[in-house]
Amino acid sequence: MTYTFTTNDFLLMVQGAGITFLLTIIAGVIGTFMGFLVGWARTTKNAVFYYSLGAYVDIIRSIPLIIQFVLFNSFMAIAGYPMDPFISGIITLSIYISGYVAEVVKAGIESVPDVTRKAARGLGMTYYQDFFYVVVPIGMRTVFPSWTGLMLGLMKDTSLIAVLGATPPELLRSSQIIINRIQEPLMILLGAGAFYFIMCYVITHFAGRYEKIWQQKRQAAL
Amino acid sequence: MFEYTFQWRVVWKHWPQLLEAGLLTLQLTILSIIIGLVIASVLAVFRDSSNPFAKYLSVTWVALARNTPALLQIYMAYFGLGAFGIHLSPYTAVLGAVAFNNAGYLAEILRGGFSTVPASQKFAARGLGLTATQSYIYITLPQVLQAVFLPIVNQVIWAMLATSLGMIIGLQELTGMTTFLQSQTFRPFEFYFVAACMYLVIAKIATMLAQIVAAHMFKGGADK
Amino acid sequence: MIEIQEVHKSFGSLKVLKGIDLTVEKGEVVCLIGASGSGKSTLLLCINALESINSGKIIVDGIDVHAPQTNQDQLRRKLGIIFQQFNAFPHLTAQQNVALAPRKVLKTPTKYAQALAQEHLAKVGLGDKLDRYPAQLSGGQQQRLAIARALAMEPDYLLLDEVTSALDPELVGEVLDTLRMLAEDGMTMIAVTHEIPFAREVADRVAFFHQGVIHEIGPAKELINNPQQQRTKEFLGNIL
Ligand SMILES: Nc1ncnc2c1ncn2[C@@H]1O[C@H](COP(=O)(O)OP(=O)(O)OP(=O)(O)O)[C@@H](O)[C@H]1O
Ligand SMILES: [Mg+2]
Repeated sequence: MTYTFTTNDFLLMVQGAGITFLLTIIAGVIGTFMGFLVGWARTTKNAVFYYSLGAYVDIIRSIPLIIQFVLFNSFMAIAGYPMDPFISGIITLSIYISGYVAEVVKAGIESVPDVTRKAARGLGMTYYQDFFYVVVPIGMRTVFPSWTGLMLGLMKDTSLIAVLGATPPELLRSSQIIINRIQEPLMILLGAGAFYFIMCYVITHFAGRYEKIWQQKRQAAL
Repeated sequence: MFEYTFQWRVVWKHWPQLLEAGLLTLQLTILSIIIGLVIASVLAVFRDSSNPFAKYLSVTWVALARNTPALLQIYMAYFGLGAFGIHLSPYTAVLGAVAFNNAGYLAEILRGGFSTVPASQKFAARGLGLTATQSYIYITLPQVLQAVFLPIVNQVIWAMLATSLGMIIGLQELTGMTTFLQSQTFRPFEFYFVAACMYLVIAKIATMLAQIVAAHMFKGGADK
Repeated sequence: MIEIQEVHKSFGSLKVLKGIDLTVEKGEVVCLIGASGSGKSTLLLCINALESINSGKIIVDGIDVHAPQTNQDQLRRKLGIIFQQFNAFPHLTAQQNVALAPRKVLKTPTKYAQALAQEHLAKVGLGDKLDRYPAQLSGGQQQRLAIARALAMEPDYLLLDEVTSALDPELVGEVLDTLRMLAEDGMTMIAVTHEIPFAREVADRVAFFHQGVIHEIGPAKELINNPQQQRTKEFLGNIL
């Protein structure tokens, strides 16, 4: 008996793509927020922040995401708080991406020349005024492409929460379910690849548009 | 909470297996980077080639490698290629897929490296009487090397992390072996914790070595 | 002797040089002045064969620079060139910057090349900066490094393209002093410059470039103090 690819299968993949997108957005927002705080804290002259958060960033970026998943999961289990894999997946993904965002944010803040910051303070701005009106707009624009790259990486990495058996299945897990049934790995994987490709393309495209608008505004201002 | 007692002795008992798996991870990482670098050099040259086929190959490779998950690439190598009668072992599939991925990223790194050396450097070198080849070897290449060094080190770490996906198709590299051992002993936290430490140590050693090498090789610092 | 005869040069459809004639004798210092885009830099690059020409001839010591049989790498050893942007090699120390070309091009043994580098760096006042990297040098020091680097090849001619225009005003003097010293030593130089007082003092002749031709040329003091052509007057009037 042979199985064929049905409309339902297609819908399962579309749903999977939706879950992938959702996971990316949720973990992306939380992780960016956390990463921003960590990255900023590392640029203050506080040595405790600098080294402890440096270790946080280092550890996150040196351990495979799968291991972070299972470690977090089994830690919560032995601590007496077993968690739904989908939720623990989101938490781990957020922490994971925050480590990378922190480095990008730090680089962005440091890319703003000291003289610019001194000029802002010289105008009577407070530390926080200088930070939010001068450093953030300039620095974050500089690292915006890197940040976009991180979000693309995050989207691809969401495929790993399937390892925990999280449901509902995201794109790659959905594809696997279909493969197991109809035994046509090549076609389904190509299809999944196309989905990822399109999603990456859309994000890259909008990021590029956004950057162009910035540039045009800047040029118009000159 | 915390009625759990940690048991580390069982991990110690399986230490030789973990160590061996760690070496396999290291081997996969190094091989995938070497293969990736060789292919990336070709792709970087092809990218600016006047031959449309070469250019197209390069653009497609880079786009595919960068815009799909590494896990999907591993599935493709392991399950997908079966449609063409190609059946790879888990080892070859992981090595091939991670090298494929590395090549895509490294090609972009190399291209970026060449674009950091201004054309005026070549003019200055030729103006002193250096031949085109000499100018390339003594002026352009050292500067490219400096520009790409740290990004390549990052890619090495990334490749190491990516080899952990081998676990999913049953390869017993560090993560795969850990998964296997914890399933035998029902001590997931202890085993994964030790594996995490091993990854951390490998990554730390790699970055420290890289920093030492960089400090000796690149004393000029960035041009301003 | 450098003989430039009826040289034409275009980039695509843009005609940059439209028939340049100029002869520079040994030991002579000629300054080229003129508005931006008039083709001064292009001419220097053509003399050094870093750019090709469309027609005409450039002859250096009897050798036709752009003839197919000419070994241009060899020819460039006679002609040092220094640019507005210092173009120091950022991955090499000052000494290595200077020693590289003698070692690789002239095959001077490393030890001698290093001694040579020391000597020339000392000459431009950088004797104490041998092991500094370009990023650790000021703009004026980097430009003097570029001069030492060119001199170490013991060229017969120096081509200088606005070597002071990227410098802060207070650093211009130290570089001009170095050039003055070279002129006194009898170095043959073709220098594009906007430093009119310097040109008046050091140059034997000054040529005014306008839209791809030499619009007016004459002894430095005469041309600058008493230009004959309307355009030259306007240009000097604007710049002084
Ligand atoms: N490689 C090139 N390709 C195309 N056009 C060029 C190139 N180099 C120079 N040009 C053009 O040739 C013209 C003359 O340039 P050149 O640099 O010789 O002028 P210049 O007299 O040195 O001006 P400046 O005082 O600004 O240095 C300019 O219009 C310039 O845009
Ligand atoms: Mg010029």
